[in-house]
Amino acid sequence: MSASPVIRLDDVSKRFGATQALEEVSLEIEAGSVVVLLGLSGSGKSTLLRHLDGLEVPTSGSVEVLGQSVPELRGRALRALRGRVGFIFQQFELVGSITVLENVLTGALARLRGPRLGLPSYPKALREQAFAHLEEVGLAAQAFQRADTLSGGQQQRVAIARALMQDPEILLADEPVASLDPESSDQVMNLIREIGLRRGLTVVCSLHQVDLALAWADRIVGLRHGRVVLDTPAEGLSKEQVMEIYGRVATSTAEIAALQDELLETVAAIAAEENAAR
Amino acid sequence: MTAIAPPRASAPATPPGAPRRTLARPSGRVLTAAALLLGLGVAAIWSIVDLEVGLNQLERGLANAGRFLQRTVPFEWPSLGDVLWLSAMTLAIVVLGTLLATVISIPVAYLSAANTSPGGLVTRLLGRLIGIVSRATPDAFLALAFAMIIAQGALPGILALGLHSVGMISKLTADAIEQIDEGPRLALRAAGATKAQEFWGGIWPQILPSVIATVLHRADINLRATVVLGFVGVAGLGLELSLGLKSLNYREGIPYAIIMFALCIVFEIIATSVRSTLLGVRPSGRSLGGLLARRTVPAAPVAVDPLKQPWTPERRRLAGFSRSSIVVIIGALAVISTSLPNFSLFWQNIGIALNRMLPPQIDEAKWGSVAEDFLITIQVGLAATLVGVILSAVFGVFAARNVAPNPTVRGIFRLLLVVNRGIPELLLAFFLIILTGLGATAGVVALAIGGIGLLGKLVADSLEEVDPGPERALRATGATRAQIFFAATLPQAAPAIVGHVLYLLDTNVRASSLLGVIGGAGIGFTILQASRINHQEMLALLIIMVFVVLAIEALSSLIRSLVK
Repeated sequence: MSASPVIRLDDVSKRFGATQALEEVSLEIEAGSVVVLLGLSGSGKSTLLRHLDGLEVPTSGSVEVLGQSVPELRGRALRALRGRVGFIFQQFELVGSITVLENVLTGALARLRGPRLGLPSYPKALREQAFAHLEEVGLAAQAFQRADTLSGGQQQRVAIARALMQDPEILLADEPVASLDPESSDQVMNLIREIGLRRGLTVVCSLHQVDLALAWADRIVGLRHGRVVLDTPAEGLSKEQVMEIYGRVATSTAEIAALQDELLETVAAIAAEENAAR
Repeated sequence: MTAIAPPRASAPATPPGAPRRTLARPSGRVLTAAALLLGLGVAAIWSIVDLEVGLNQLERGLANAGRFLQRTVPFEWPSLGDVLWLSAMTLAIVVLGTLLATVISIPVAYLSAANTSPGGLVTRLLGRLIGIVSRATPDAFLALAFAMIIAQGALPGILALGLHSVGMISKLTADAIEQIDEGPRLALRAAGATKAQEFWGGIWPQILPSVIATVLHRADINLRATVVLGFVGVAGLGLELSLGLKSLNYREGIPYAIIMFALCIVFEIIATSVRSTLLGVRPSGRSLGGLLARRTVPAAPVAVDPLKQPWTPERRRLAGFSRSSIVVIIGALAVISTSLPNFSLFWQNIGIALNRMLPPQIDEAKWGSVAEDFLITIQVGLAATLVGVILSAVFGVFAARNVAPNPTVRGIFRLLLVVNRGIPELLLAFFLIILTGLGATAGVVALAIGGIGLLGKLVADSLEEVDPGPERALRATGATRAQIFFAATLPQAAPAIVGHVLYLLDTNVRASSLLGVIGGAGIGFTILQASRINHQEMLALLIIMVFVVLAIEALSSLIRSLVK
């Protein structure tokens, strides 16, 4: 893989009122790599992903995506960047009352001028392209169904097709299988990986299932309380090591501290940063 | 480690090279709905053209405004005692009329709701039929009929409001019953409860917030209705207003209109604050009932003395509300009792009145003009709805949190909508009729402006209620605000908005039939005339009117079911 980073976070902190969502996160992701952000809910994975698409603005620090400083982008420039970055949501976020095909087509809005409503309002060439993407995710037969008639796994595949419609360079996925059954999960994760490889996309995906992450990613970035506590190639990492990051439920401050100490020991060799004692 | 399944096999929908269909084959349902809506739109445009609704009439009105002001200013205000007494009378009529309607509505709703109707489809249809007929019979005409039987005064107003309001209250209550959680009810049934215990123990507590909200909303509507009721002789502010205006004595008449307007605004504010403190509602939910009351069930704190329910803020509010309601109702009864008619001749009067009304018939010579009157009434309703829809679209969009460009704009438009709702549209129509003369424009413009307050708010609420997820997803793809609105917000809100537009159409056709009562064009004038001369004709006209309204309701419920 080439060494040029397409995503670069430098000392990024984000605060929501009293909550510290991200704390001094620094991260570089190279073009074409497949990275998993691993952590418990509330560890800051979603917030980090949302910073990459300009959906959040950091309290401090810099976020650079595709060579542009995201927090400084406004209006058309921000939309143009978003157009180059696909985002897949946990809850799919399709418009239930319109057809599957039109949902896919909405991924092309950033390339189009003016509002669109209804299939005929999109150029035929785009409609054919949307069809091709639906074939790619195996749902061409459902093109004209209402989106809310599909199962969860199918809806997520439509959402992937919608992201492909953007012709993205980066694909972000926020817990894409957290609402799915195991079988659909495998199918969706496979699809993302396969499409990413075929198109040479940079894929950043947040997950909380350790074994899925180990089997799927090239690189795993562990987050805890908004800090990066692990950053390592997936290869050679054991499930036990990763489980230490979040596999237990700590109920008291002492337990959290103990867990953190243990964690430091276990992943000392590979942990990128020290987890500050609180 | 989980084994990851092999890539899914995707079967291409069409063989490569074959031309592909990229547009959905339109379904019959969608086509029918679109055709019906289009038909209504064309009919509305034709109505505007045919009625010669135009700005020039309004311009002429503006020219008349100076003369009108000359004859109006300075006002001759009634004495404070009169104002208070008349306001009390008007409010008492509203309170008792709405109360009567509520009492009737509960059993009717029980009959109408699918999950409570005792005799299945038959009783269910019976319940719905009672509601629909009640809704279709305009209150002013009911009051006219009652006045013939029991003499003019407050009572015909109470009865008219009571019967007409059953339609709306029973429908929204039935909807609320159908939306309950069946669990508590089943639990009571399993414990051996009777049907009545099941209702009051398992259903009533769940629908109470919705019922309170509906009743408050209806009382608000009924307060406005007293303006028109005054024109047909029902006591209170409306009567004084109509007497002043009919005798062209604007100096004495207009102050009553101002008082009425103030009363409407005060009532709106009280109703809103009662709703929000008592129910803790943020108006949201797809149906009108849900919109009026979003149930919030606060968690009950642990009781200190296990035998005494603690006085939580919740309980204090509820008790305060029930006690003040009782005081209000007693007060209303006291006010009304001063002007009760003599009932000794009641049965005799009913006989005489029925004798005069039956059988309903219309002279053959009049058929043509009657048909024309009905046509004008429907045209005014259609035209007002179209203009109202266009205006409400603007107001609704700017008043919706997720669409308005910024919170300030939203706040301004929300405020305008509240002020607009405070104006009784028929009062507005009356002024416009005075100003522009007897054209259809006055009615159309008045109903259209009145419609903004209702439809604009409903549109804004529907837009705010959409699932924000897809909007966020499209923002993440880099779509503009306008693109997000049309691709994510509007498709989600569209069925609700179509329903609200049709609701406005129903309302407007009914209101347009009343324009005649206050001096506008349409069937109302003919009915009013007939009530003085020919009661057989009046009854016939009323029956036709009910069927016209029923036909329009049937059409709108057909479209509603198609776009769902």
